[in-house]
Amino acid sequence: MTSLSNDSAIQVEGLTKRYGDLVAVNGISFSVNRGEIFAFLGPNGAGKTTTVEMLECLRKPTSGKAFVLGLDIAKDQMAIKRKAGVLPQDFYTYERLTVRETIQYYAGMFNSRPDVEGLIKLVDLEDKKNVLFKHLSGGLKQRLGIAVALVNDPEVIFLDEPSAGLDPKARHGVWHLIEGLQKQGKTVFLTTHYMEEAEILASRVGIIHSGNIVALDTPQRLISEHGKRNMLILKKTSPKAVPNIEKLGIKANYDESTGDVTVHMNHSVTVSEVLHSLSNSDIPFGELQLRRSSLEDVFLNLTGETLGEEEGTA
Amino acid sequence: MSHVVIDLKASLRSFLRNKSTIFWTIAFPCVLILLFGAIFSYSSVKYDLYLQNQDMVDGKATYWSNTLINILNSSGVFNIQTVNATVNATDYAISNRLSSLIIIPSGFNDSANMALFTHTANLANVTYVFDQSTSSAPVVGSIVTSIVENINFQLSNGVKYLNVQDFTIAPKRYGYIDFFLPGMIGVTAMTTSIFTSVSISAQFKQNGVFHKLATTPLRRYEWILSRTVYNVLITFLGMAVMLILGVAVFGMKMTVDAVSLFMVAMASLMFTGLGMIIARFVKDPDGADAAANVITFPMMFLSGTFFPLSQMSLFLQAIAQVLPLTYVSDGLRASMIFGQSQTAIFNTAIITVLGIACIVIGSWITKWEED
Repeated sequence: MTSLSNDSAIQVEGLTKRYGDLVAVNGISFSVNRGEIFAFLGPNGAGKTTTVEMLECLRKPTSGKAFVLGLDIAKDQMAIKRKAGVLPQDFYTYERLTVRETIQYYAGMFNSRPDVEGLIKLVDLEDKKNVLFKHLSGGLKQRLGIAVALVNDPEVIFLDEPSAGLDPKARHGVWHLIEGLQKQGKTVFLTTHYMEEAEILASRVGIIHSGNIVALDTPQRLISEHGKRNMLILKKTSPKAVPNIEKLGIKANYDESTGDVTVHMNHSVTVSEVLHSLSNSDIPFGELQLRRSSLEDVFLNLTGETLGEEEGTA
Repeated sequence: MSHVVIDLKASLRSFLRNKSTIFWTIAFPCVLILLFGAIFSYSSVKYDLYLQNQDMVDGKATYWSNTLINILNSSGVFNIQTVNATVNATDYAISNRLSSLIIIPSGFNDSANMALFTHTANLANVTYVFDQSTSSAPVVGSIVTSIVENINFQLSNGVKYLNVQDFTIAPKRYGYIDFFLPGMIGVTAMTTSIFTSVSISAQFKQNGVFHKLATTPLRRYEWILSRTVYNVLITFLGMAVMLILGVAVFGMKMTVDAVSLFMVAMASLMFTGLGMIIARFVKDPDGADAAANVITFPMMFLSGTFFPLSQMSLFLQAIAQVLPLTYVSDGLRASMIFGQSQTAIFNTAIITVLGIACIVIGSWITKWEED
């Protein structure tokens, strides 16, 4: 790569990281646009953290190139560190510093003078600002970690598994913060193994598996192209429904054990057309369920595995 | 440099908020000093000193030789063992592996009298034969020298030199606390620096603090410098409290000069570096404590902190010679208590060289992230 698109905050080409015989990241290439939330989705050990740590200049690539804000990760480490914000997995710091002191400490490391009270307010820790770090819950620690990642007013923010291990309420709080970062015009690169997190937050998703990017697009397109079709489930209905529905040109299955009919929807037929067809034939049915396809299905379809199955080092 | 100050402030703030660290760093050494000082306050540290008096007339010690022997005896520091005047003293010292032997030569009394009546300051010489490889020899030598110098000083003043019986030389009596307290300062420098370095490194590695710090412009050497200065300051704090305790409770008289302060700083540097070297090979905080204990405990007991090395077997004395804490303890005693500047400077030089070597190696092998 010799040039960097003005729209790209991050550009990666052929990035590889090997540990002996183990290939943690295998020649991946992608770019992240300025102002977007880009999610790297994959199970533990897929190579997400290794990739983000190479972009953060913490690990040296075995081969390949990468640029962050036009700066070469092989040559401009200090400049990248000054311009990027980082939330590591399970943010931790001096246990006996308060929330406010922690933000001031890291601000000092960047020689920056951020609005400390503003950052505390942003992450909703105003009533905890004088509490020692060791007394914060996991969710509050992550929120403080996000505030710390912003002390240098970064253009790019790397969030490595920002909500891992948090309860649902804390997780949604972190998501809300991340959405707020995008509204401020920040570029967010996040790694996650939570399908829902990537689907809700990300403008684009790169799916990584065994060190390779197996798909990269918007969540909607990935689901559309690689997910299963949306499914309509008709509870407690007659097997006669199957040939009736298939006349519409879509597939349907009858499950004898439950008495349910599963209809594999596509874009050519609407739910109301299916129901109208059944009604015209006097075929009764109980309750209706519509199951939407997700990134989980995309991952399963592309890799044959579910998220969380793979174990490894990275 | 601003990064160093910021990190140092954070470390000191954390220290002041950690009661258990304050206890183990400051209070615990004081408790030990009070306990050991109280238990052994009526006993003195004594060194074996062999003495051959060749200045005899009709089988009796001459006046001056007898006076000198009495003064050495009255110091309370020595167990004086007499060596037969007919043997070759140097051969005797070698064959019996003696560390310290004083020879009062024949004619010593006459030389002393001559000095008195001719108003010259050429007091008769005594010869000090010693084994330089033993840690007690410099200490014994410094005490003997100070006693002889005191006699010289009294004589050269010309006040009482004719009335030698009125010599009121009150050579300093050294108690156990004089021996123990400098050793405890050395131990504090060691435990503070090693435990802090090892445990902080292990904790920061395990908790990911190093990972986060590595994403900031803080450079590794700045962090190491901050930790070193922190250890030096905490050791100075502990030293100050111990000195106040020694003076206030035990009435100690000590000299705290630039050499002793520099020696403590270099000891902290050395042990900080040693701690970083150990930390490189431990993976978690539990392992860090165990590794630090393995290093510090034997050193504490084998480096002459609690009792003189001369009371240990020759094998253990040989081990003590390769332990860095030995040079810290002996150097601090020489500097603060016995006023033997040469020994202090020699030990400081050793500690400084070791300190620079340890901190360079420690800094070189310390990694925030595995590549």
